[in-house]
Amino acid sequence: MKVIRFRRPPAPLPALLCRWDLDKTYLRSEFDTLGQLWRTAWETGADKVEVPGVVDVIKGLKACAERHGRAAQLQFISASPPQIGKAIRDKLALDGIPYDSITFKDQLQHLRRGNLRKLREHAGFKLTELLRGRRGAPTDARELLFGDDWESDPLIYSVYADMVAGRLGGALLERVLGRIGVDATTVAAIVAAAGEVAGPARVDRIFINLERRTPTGVFRLYGPRVVPSFNYFQTALVLAGDGWLDPEDLLRVARALAGGAGFTPRRLENSLADLVRRGHVTPDSGDRLARPLRKAGLLPPGPRGPADWFRRRLAALRRGRRPLASDEALDYTAILERLPARRATPEAKAT
Amino acid sequence: MPTIAVDAMGGDHGPDEVVKGVAQVSLETEIETLLVGDEARIQAVLERVPYNPEHIAILHCRDAIGMGETPREAVKKKDASLVVGVRAVADGRAAAMVSAGNTGACVLACAQHFALLPGIKRAALASVYPRHTEYDGQDPLALLLDVGATVRCEAPELVQFALMGSAYARRISKLPSPRVGLLNMGSEEGKGGDVLAEAHRRLRALPGITFVGNVEGNDLVHGRADVIVCEGLLGNVALKLLEGVAEVLGEVTRSAAESRVTWRLGLRLLSGGIDRLQALVDYRQYGGAPILGFQQLFLKCHGRSSSGAIANAVKVAAKAVRDRVPAEIADAVAALR
Repeated sequence: MKVIRFRRPPAPLPALLCRWDLDKTYLRSEFDTLGQLWRTAWETGADKVEVPGVVDVIKGLKACAERHGRAAQLQFISASPPQIGKAIRDKLALDGIPYDSITFKDQLQHLRRGNLRKLREHAGFKLTELLRGRRGAPTDARELLFGDDWESDPLIYSVYADMVAGRLGGALLERVLGRIGVDATTVAAIVAAAGEVAGPARVDRIFINLERRTPTGVFRLYGPRVVPSFNYFQTALVLAGDGWLDPEDLLRVARALAGGAGFTPRRLENSLADLVRRGHVTPDSGDRLARPLRKAGLLPPGPRGPADWFRRRLAALRRGRRPLASDEALDYTAILERLPARRATPEAKAT
Repeated sequence: MPTIAVDAMGGDHGPDEVVKGVAQVSLETEIETLLVGDEARIQAVLERVPYNPEHIAILHCRDAIGMGETPREAVKKKDASLVVGVRAVADGRAAAMVSAGNTGACVLACAQHFALLPGIKRAALASVYPRHTEYDGQDPLALLLDVGATVRCEAPELVQFALMGSAYARRISKLPSPRVGLLNMGSEEGKGGDVLAEAHRRLRALPGITFVGNVEGNDLVHGRADVIVCEGLLGNVALKLLEGVAEVLGEVTRSAAESRVTWRLGLRLLSGGIDRLQALVDYRQYGGAPILGFQQLFLKCHGRSSSGAIANAVKVAAKAVRDRVPAEIADAVAALR
């Protein structure tokens, strides 16, 4: 008699939600002067230049998710006005980026209503849009957030991540939002939404593209969830270490940087070593990730013997980095104290 | 781009100022640096400053050599940053080394691990210092060698120093025909004893260099010669005297400003000129003293070097590697033979 065993099909993996900032994170936007801002406004999709390696990271995330049977969504949130939307969409099409949605900040609407404060205030806009996207995503979706070091992305993303995890709400959330200049009506809406989104979903990592080369120590207060990265090879290494990219995706990113951005094997090796020293990749994981890259000639041949392995392990121990437990809240009081002083607004005073 | 090894732990302000200097270089240039020293301490400094990790590697070692240590004993520390760095250059992992550490230990470590260029008998520590210029476009910096690597020298060694200094000035200062002087107690060729008289005779007959004869102590700060040759003892005394005078001038100016209001006002009027003078005597501008004569390059920075001085030294070291200074010296010595 033939025994038929019924196997329960494996539970589908939670969906992956990737949320990207555009300027300085995806695009190499330059609008530090009025002249540059003017030029940016008139650029076509073909004029726009992406940050080296970003296209391959995004494609890799999507491909890896598909390979493992995981649904993946890609959303862009930009504080740029929708008037440049066509150029951005053209650029994303040229790069072959498979995005699901793109949101711009309707500056003209604020201008028409005479709400000049909202023109410059991006934190409230970004948090609102992040929450909106969260509501439309599967409840158990895992999230990866990508921003840069020009404005407050590490703080905004961390606030969002802690709201989603149910660790931040109430008076503390109001105080944080007030301090970063979110207006009172938006604060109320965000605080209300915080209760709605808290659930099983979680933000796994927040990547900050160090376009301004902000000292990495500045981000210590945000814990290991925030990964400041100097290039997209570093981002890809952490993603591969976490399993969001496969080795072949990592190879593709390294090849893109070596081919198009002049990264030598030594520069890639130095980037990896930097990440290990900062504790975002363990020495073991670093060795494992480096193996196929060395084989492909993208990293220099491994010079390391047991003595070197021991030395690096010892150095990692001496650094003594305390991992942040996943349920540990950030010290927002300390983070707010370090923020550059800003003029107190009536709303901020009220909170 | 060449890789320059940097002794992170050397000097009075290592690793802080050294690492900051390297971080600065990593942002401004494509030069690759190999920071040698305690990895955890180096990383702690890096995390406080902007840097580009793509251009920085770290070679970890536990030990360091103090500024007051006896050189002969100090270089026995096999895991000291200076020794590890010099070994890394000797092994070809880096093309040159920069250190603000113990001068004697630097020279000794080079002697132990670097090979002398063919035909070179002794290495020389050269120092770049500011001087008055005699004509428009003249380099405001001159090269004095030796300033301490070889205490006592014979005439053939002084001739080799002239060749080395001349080659360095040709490559780094871009002087097509640097003027070479012999430091002596008088301008007449027979002055200074047998060694200096013999050196004078040989230098005068030497093809390929522009020898301007003996130069006296006061000529050091004038523009008569671009390269001044002397034995290590004399060179070191002369260099320290120049540094001491510059320091005293600064102190006198400060105390004058504090003692009388009228002097303070006068100094305020002269502040532009004083700033220019201070910039001229500021050792941070000069990028360190090269140790010449070895197949590899070593740049010794002032012990009190700031991050700016270290950054300049790394840039000069990279330039010296790119411009193949050791090969230029080897060619000059080979032509003599």
